[in-house]
Formats: sequence, structure tokens, C-alpha cells
Amino acid sequence: MTKTMKKFDLKNQAFPGQETPGKNGSNELPLPDHIQDIKDSCPWFQRDFNLSEKDREVIRKYLDGLTDDEIIEIYYRMRDKKELWDGGYFYPNLQILFGTPFEREKDRREQKIWNEEYGESEVVKWYKEAKEKPCVWWLENHIIARHSLNSCMSCGACTALCPAAEFLDYNPRIIMETVQGKNEDAITQLLKSDTIWYCFQCGSCKTKCPRKNNPFGMISSLRQLSQIKGYHVYSIRGRQQYAARHLWGGNLWNRACTLYFRNIEVKTHRDFGPRHELCFNHKEEYFRKIGACPDMDGLLSGRKVHPETLHELRRLWQAGGALYLWEHIEDSAKKQADESGITIDEYHDKVKTEG
Amino acid sequence: MRVLVLGGGITGLKTAFTLSEFDIETIIVEKSSEIGGKVKRYDKIFPDFRSGKNLVKNLIASARNSPNITVLENSTVTNVAKNNRSYTASLSDGKIIEVDAIILTCGFEVFDATRQPEYGYSVYPNVITSMELESFLNPEGPTKGKLLRPSDGKVAKRIAIIFCVGSRNMKIGNPYCSRICCSYSTKQAIEIKENDEEAMVTCFYMDIRTYGRGFEEMYQYAQEIGVKYIRGRVSECSVLPDGNIQVRAENTLLGKPVQGVFDLVSLSVGMMPCVDAEELAGIFGIERGKDGFFLSKDDDLFPHDTSKEGVFLAGSITGLKPIRDCFLDAMSVSGRVVSYLTDLYKNR
Amino acid sequence: MKENNSLFSETGRESLWKRYIKDIPDDGYFLTLSCILGALYPGSEAMIPKVYDLFGLNWGTNPRPESGWSCCSGIAYHGDIMPIEGTLLTVARLWSIAQEIGVDTITMSCVTSFGIHCECRDLYENEPGLKEKIDRLLKQSCGREFEIPKYILHTSDVFYHYRNQLRDNFMKFQLIDKKTGTPLNVVDHVGCHYSKLFPEEHSLGGSEYCEVLSGMATAWGGKEIDYPERRHCCGMGFRQCMISPNRAGTMASVHKKMKSMSPFQPDLIITNCPGCQVFLDKEQWAIYEITGKKYFIPVLTYQEVAGILMGWDPYGVVGIQFHTVPVEPLLDKIGTPYNPSEAWLGINKRQVY
Repeated sequence: MTKTMKKFDLKNQAFPGQETPGKNGSNELPLPDHIQDIKDSCPWFQRDFNLSEKDREVIRKYLDGLTDDEIIEIYYRMRDKKELWDGGYFYPNLQILFGTPFEREKDRREQKIWNEEYGESEVVKWYKEAKEKPCVWWLENHIIARHSLNSCMSCGACTALCPAAEFLDYNPRIIMETVQGKNEDAITQLLKSDTIWYCFQCGSCKTKCPRKNNPFGMISSLRQLSQIKGYHVYSIRGRQQYAARHLWGGNLWNRACTLYFRNIEVKTHRDFGPRHELCFNHKEEYFRKIGACPDMDGLLSGRKVHPETLHELRRLWQAGGALYLWEHIEDSAKKQADESGITIDEYHDKVKTEG
Repeated sequence: MRVLVLGGGITGLKTAFTLSEFDIETIIVEKSSEIGGKVKRYDKIFPDFRSGKNLVKNLIASARNSPNITVLENSTVTNVAKNNRSYTASLSDGKIIEVDAIILTCGFEVFDATRQPEYGYSVYPNVITSMELESFLNPEGPTKGKLLRPSDGKVAKRIAIIFCVGSRNMKIGNPYCSRICCSYSTKQAIEIKENDEEAMVTCFYMDIRTYGRGFEEMYQYAQEIGVKYIRGRVSECSVLPDGNIQVRAENTLLGKPVQGVFDLVSLSVGMMPCVDAEELAGIFGIERGKDGFFLSKDDDLFPHDTSKEGVFLAGSITGLKPIRDCFLDAMSVSGRVVSYLTDLYKNR
Repeated sequence: MKENNSLFSETGRESLWKRYIKDIPDDGYFLTLSCILGALYPGSEAMIPKVYDLFGLNWGTNPRPESGWSCCSGIAYHGDIMPIEGTLLTVARLWSIAQEIGVDTITMSCVTSFGIHCECRDLYENEPGLKEKIDRLLKQSCGREFEIPKYILHTSDVFYHYRNQLRDNFMKFQLIDKKTGTPLNVVDHVGCHYSKLFPEEHSLGGSEYCEVLSGMATAWGGKEIDYPERRHCCGMGFRQCMISPNRAGTMASVHKKMKSMSPFQPDLIITNCPGCQVFLDKEQWAIYEITGKKYFIPVLTYQEVAGILMGWDPYGVVGIQFHTVPVEPLLDKIGTPYNPSEAWLGINKRQVY
């Protein structure tokens, strides 16, 4: 090969608007100054699951009072505020915005606008039609379902070393049997149950099947169907998808990465031990020390994604049906929250912590 | 009238002997150094536990003593040419023989258990194949009939038998049932149990296919004397620090994954088409099925005929058969060949 | 490597894994990185480009700053919030960038990602018309075109490929106990989505006796340990580990593996999957809290093992302070120098605690 590729540029000179901080760059971590003042007093930037009723009311009232344009404008203004730090630009507000009721509300509204602006792709049309058809139709037509089951002789090789079957009330063989039975009622019942949500998606079953079936692929397809049909909210494990949609979906939509390096907060990850707390409390410092880009322009971990890259990906996810699916998860959640007489924020925290 | 019988196992021997009774001359061409095939290695055969070795001994003796039978060992067919009504066969030792008909009784090959690496054969010494178990059970075998496990020579008390190794498996390209494994494994389980009452034998099966006369009764007897059957295909074997083998399967009748620990694990290997099947199909210009076994002209009406006139098939070359079915096949192909030769000579 | 005992045949294993080999080109890699690895063990991620540069390889992540690599969306797909089409498109965009750079080898540091790329390729091969459909959607959405890349490699494949050169040219230490001179006991844990999804096509050594990690470990002086739950899933489980109420299944799986391996006295666990790395390491603390059992077996990525053996700064480059199970006892065994007082220093050795 003659062409030489562009390598990592840890100093990020190539980024637009980037200038060489040189000696002016500070080694002190920039604090999100003006935001820091409001962080503690603004409940919409709280990721605490134990918010008081009063705080929740304040959040809702504030968010409901914002127009779409306002919330989007505030979000990006905050997001793009940058400060020189350690030879690059640091975006201090990312750590405040992520995973907050504010970000979730922004995503809901922004994604609705995207859906209207870019219209229905052929993928979305297919999913819309599939929603109205019987479950059995899905199993015969969805690409993953079709490639996942030839025929099952119920030998149990899949279940024998399934990590979920070992500890939970779960049996992939019986799921494959149910699917093979093509009984609409039985499949509907399966989609409304906790069962399909126990799978670890590890793929151990696929290697072992003597009929070349792919049980974990089938389960993945069933889970999609369950959400398209809105059946996932019937089970505790299923309705966790609302939290997943904002955890992974929020990270993808805003940071082009299914996980954000600050997701593993100490308060929600106590099982990670005391050393984790030591690291986490000075995360950006340690990240930078090792050459990563915590909330900075760049290419290594924790980086702030280039806006054009993010835009391309958002277009792909819209075309690929992700926004349609998220809208569905959103609608099912809203409906269930209304039925239970709680706000969508409370619902989010409830499904993320129950089970 | 002269017939070439390719393969000197039980089918070939019985075919040659039957034809000799019709005064038809046969030449048995056997690849290995000694006729008798695989059955001569079996101390007991199912379902009646008679001696396979003695059975074959008698067959060999009758073949050797018959004036109508010529045995050529260490030999195989390298080429055949069809003449007007006969065939000229060139043999690997340079001989050229002319015959009126050819019967292929080349049998099968035992599945290579390393092709299912999840069972750890060739990695864990205490995982053996059913062929090795057969020799352990043989009083004249290397362990004088004792089940001494390879890693430390201790007597194995807990034995797992894993069915369907190399059978009913699309992943390795063997979708078919090998037909005899359920029965021979059950036979082995009974032998273990009868030799040592304290031994615990657990069979992991997918479906028990003891379909022949007396086979199901054998299965019933095995259960009566305490052989355990668990319905589930084994996913994986692994070794514990003391050399014991951990086996994972689902007990599909309970719907729960189970893990068992055993001193010794025997893999009931299935059957494959004979190793030179592809070569033979080329030499004789006849067809094989997707499973690799040879195809008859018509499974129902002409089970022994091939697409080539004067070339016939018998025994496990057309798919797995228990010993008694091989004998039946041998006699049935003889009848077909006698009628073929009669026709051939009538029209001369 | 000698036959270790009468219970496990090295030669038997070798003849089995050698049936599953794959082509690994020497150079010209498009690199995509992992969401999880970067979030928890940034040193492991940062060491990949460092090692590529050691060999002067031609590699890259983007042709222009505005068209950078992205997450493959694999966790979202296996976490069921991304339809397969969304993932196909995300991966197609990555392939398109690689082709823009002019390479046909994709290397990714994440095993989920590896599985996803392989899955996409498998779908294109087995679903007529899919390529045309994704072509169309990709073109419409962001004006890109793509081809299916010739090679899909995990970065551990690349490290495996260069394992002997790394040892001979760069390593100052070996996986050998400095005091006794005996090889360290190394347990490998290969990510399920590396070895189990497409063992025939994409896994170096197949699913049962996967070679990719134990090959590195033995080349670098260690002794391969086979234990009963070697191939068992770590329990990461996507939604099982990331939605906190479900994490019990993850802990139980890790505990099962720990119980199974501890009689073999492993000195370290080597992983190639970010998810496995996280939970095998982190959950040892939870197991300790719940059961009082101190397994505390250091869990390291292959990059970290390589970095340590090359004598790179354990805190400034390798990043062992990010581990829940302390790695320092392993450094003592190997004989690598380190200064424990530097463990929690910040940039430019600033005191942060």
C-alpha cells in the first residue's frame, strides 16, 4: 500500500475551531463554572433515583414550560461550551447533561422532529406494516428470525450451557419449541413474559446446536417484536427497555457511543469496589494521564464526537428504524405511566431500579 | 460364473459364502491384511450377547475352506473396464481379473470423535470412544475386561455414555441417524453393570432408537438393572483437577440444565461412509447420496442394483445396518446376483 | 511447552485448534475502538495504537476529522434498542470509512463489535438483496458507498500475529515467577462473541480450544491452564449487567467461573473482551462483599499483559490503577519495577488525593 493513513492525533489539531493551546493550556481541570452553580439547585440535572416528589414536580414544570426550540438550543449551547485544558479543549458540561431528565426530554422532542423532517425510510415502513401483522408473520419474515431457526429436535444442547438457564427460570429450548409451534396465542404470551428478557445474548447456544439454529438470534428477534407490539411493558424485565432506550439510546444519540465513560457512577456501581471509587472521582485526570480524551475532541476513549460524524450516524439510525423503535418504546412507556398515574420521569426511575 | 466381492467384512463373507452354495465362484478383495471386518473385534454383540468374534471366525473358516471362494488380502480395485458382458478389474497388487459381476460390500468407517471437539476426545485421556470401551470390556482386551481409566489406571465406577456423537448433527455434515449406536451403547451399559454391580452408568441420549426385534427389550432390561438414561444432548465435557470429567447437558424431560461428574466418559461414535467411498464411486462410475453413502437404483424395488449394470451394493455401504441386517442383505444380494447371472448366461 | 500432566493433552489440544486458523494480514488496519474498554480500562485502548506504531504499521481510524469512527451499536443491538438494519448501517459506514482510507482489514478492540461485524458479513452472504438495500439506505442517508471488507480481525488477532516479535524485540519480562523461575499459571477467557458465533470462519482456534489468548500467554512465558468452566460466559449479558437489578446473573456467572478456576491456582486471567474484562475483574469485589471469599485473581487484557512485559509504566501507560483487583502482586511475581506511591497521582504527577 502506498497511501499512508492518518493516525491518532491526540492533540486534535485537525479539529475545526481548534487552536494550539500551547503554554496557555491549563493543567487544572476546568470546572463547569456557571453551570456548577446551578447543578445542585437544578433538579433537571440530577441523576438521582430518589428524587423528592417536589423535585419531580419542579422538573416536569420546567421541562413542560420549554418549547422544542428552547430545550434543543439550551442543550447544545451547554454541550458545546468548551475550555482549554491539558493541550486540548474540554467540554465541562457533558458530565452534567448526560442521563438527566433534561437530556431525555430533549431527545424525545428532537427525535420527533427528526422523524418528521426525514420521513419514513423503507425500513420504518416495513416495521410499521409488521406491527399490524400476526406474530407468526414476523417469525416467518423478519430477517433475523428467518435465519435463526431451521427446525428444532429439542435436544437441549443450547440449554445445557446457557448461563441464564443455570440461574434463572429460563430455557432457550422451550422458547425455540414455542416458536416452532407457530401458535399465535402461545407466542403472544411469550412476548409478554419476563422469559425472553433473561437471555444473556452470549451466543453459547449457537455454537452447540446440531441443527444449525441460532437461539439467541431468535430471542433477539422476539424482543424486537415484543417492543414493536408494545408487549414488553407487560413484564418487569421487559419494561426495563425504557431505561435501556435512554441509557444506550441517549448515549448513541448524543455521544455516538452506546456507553459513556461516566455511566459507571459509583452510586449505581457499588459492586465495583472501593478502588473503582478512587478512579471514578478523578476520572478525567486519570484518563488524560493515560492518553484518553475524556470529554475532549479526539479519537480515544471518552471523546466528544465530531458534530458531523454524529449527524451522519443520526441519519443512519433514523433510516435504520432505531428512532421508530425508540418512539414506540416511548409511547408504550407514556401510556403505562399515565395508567399508573406517575410522570414519565418517575416511570423511568421505577423501571430502571425495580426487578 | 465369477463374481468379485469388494470388502471382506461380514457382508462380503456371507455374500461370497451364499453364492458359493450356488456354485458361483467368488473372489473376495480385502483392503486390510485380514478378512473379517470390524465385527471380529467385538466380544459380544447385541441383542443376544453372542460372541461377534466366534461368529466371524466361523464365517472366515467357511470362506477359507470353500473351493469356490478365493481371498485376496492387502488388495483393492484400482480400475475397472466394462467389456461386452463382463468386467475386467485391475487390482492394486497388479493382478487383473475378469468377472461377470461386482458386489461392493465395503462397509462403513467409524466417526472421528475429534471432529466434535466439545467432548474433549484426544485432549482429556478419560474421554474415550465406544470402540475403546468395547476393547476395555473384552476379557481378552488390554485391560482384561476391567474398566481402568486411562489417566491413572483406577477402576472407573461412574461412567457416562454419550449418544449421537457424529450422528444427527448438521454442523459436522452428518444429519443422519447411525441406527446402531443406541443399541450397542445399551449393550455396553449392560455389560458394565453386569461386570460390576456398583458401577453407575448414565446414558445421555436424544431419542432412544432401539427399533429391532429384541432391541427395545434390551433397553428395558438395562433400565431394570439400574442404567440411568437422561434425555439431553451433551454440550460439553471438561476435566476436573482429579481427572474426573464434568459433563453438561439439559435434562430435557425436567427442563433443567444438569452437570454430572464421571470417572470415565465414553463417546458413542456414529458411522461414516467408508474412507475410500469417493474414490470407489469414481472407479465404478456410481452415485452417492448427500450423506456420502452409495445410492441404489431404487431403494424399494432394486435395493442392490446401481446405475451400472452388473455392479451391486450390499451391507452398510448403502447406510448403516446392524449385524443381522447385514447378513440379510448378503443373502438378498446373492439372490439378486444369481438371477442376474442366470439371465446373463441364458442370453449368451 | 511440555505435557503438563496426564489429565490434559497439550498435543491433543494443538491438533484441535489448528483446524481453525485464519488469515491475518501484516499491515493496513482500520481501527475501531470499544465503548466499554475505553470507559473502564482506557490504558488498554490507548496501548493498541502504541503497539501498532512499534511495528511501524500503516493504520488509521479516519481519513478526515469529521468522518470519524463510531461505536458499532452492538451493545444497543444486543440490548434490543437497535433494529438490525440500524446496526447494519452503522457498520456499513465504518466499512465505508475504511475503504475511503484504502484498506480492507478492519480491526476492532471489542469482541461484541467483532461479533457484530462478522454477523453483518454473514447476513450479506446469506440474505439475497440485503447488500443492495443497505447500499441504497447508506447512500440516501449520508452519501456513502461501501464494500464488504476482506478481513475482519479482532485486535487480539493482531497481537497474536505479532506475539513472537513483541517478545523478541520489545519485552523485558516474561510471564515467569522471578523468584522460582516457574511459568505463571495463566487462565484465558475468550469473549463468547469472538469464539462462539462463527468458530469456523472467524475464531483463531475455534470455540473449544481457542488459541488466540493462550497462544499469546504461552509465547510470553506463561503456562496455559485448562479448567472446567473455561468456556462459560462471564455473564456480562448486555441488559443483564447494565440494568442494575439484573446484575445478579452476572455476579453468579463470574462466581461460577472463579470457583471453577481457583483450585488450579491461576496467577492471572487474560481476556480479549472488554465486557468480560470488566465483570471478571469488578465482580470479584462484589463476590467478596457477599460471600467473604477473596479470590482476587488479577484480570488483565492482552494489551495490558503486553504493556507490563514490555516494561511500560504500570500507572502512566498501562493503567493498572483502573483495576478493582490489584495487579501489583502480579507485578511482584513478574519482577516489573513500579512505584506504588504513584498509583493515584494525576497529570504531571499532581497529587489528587
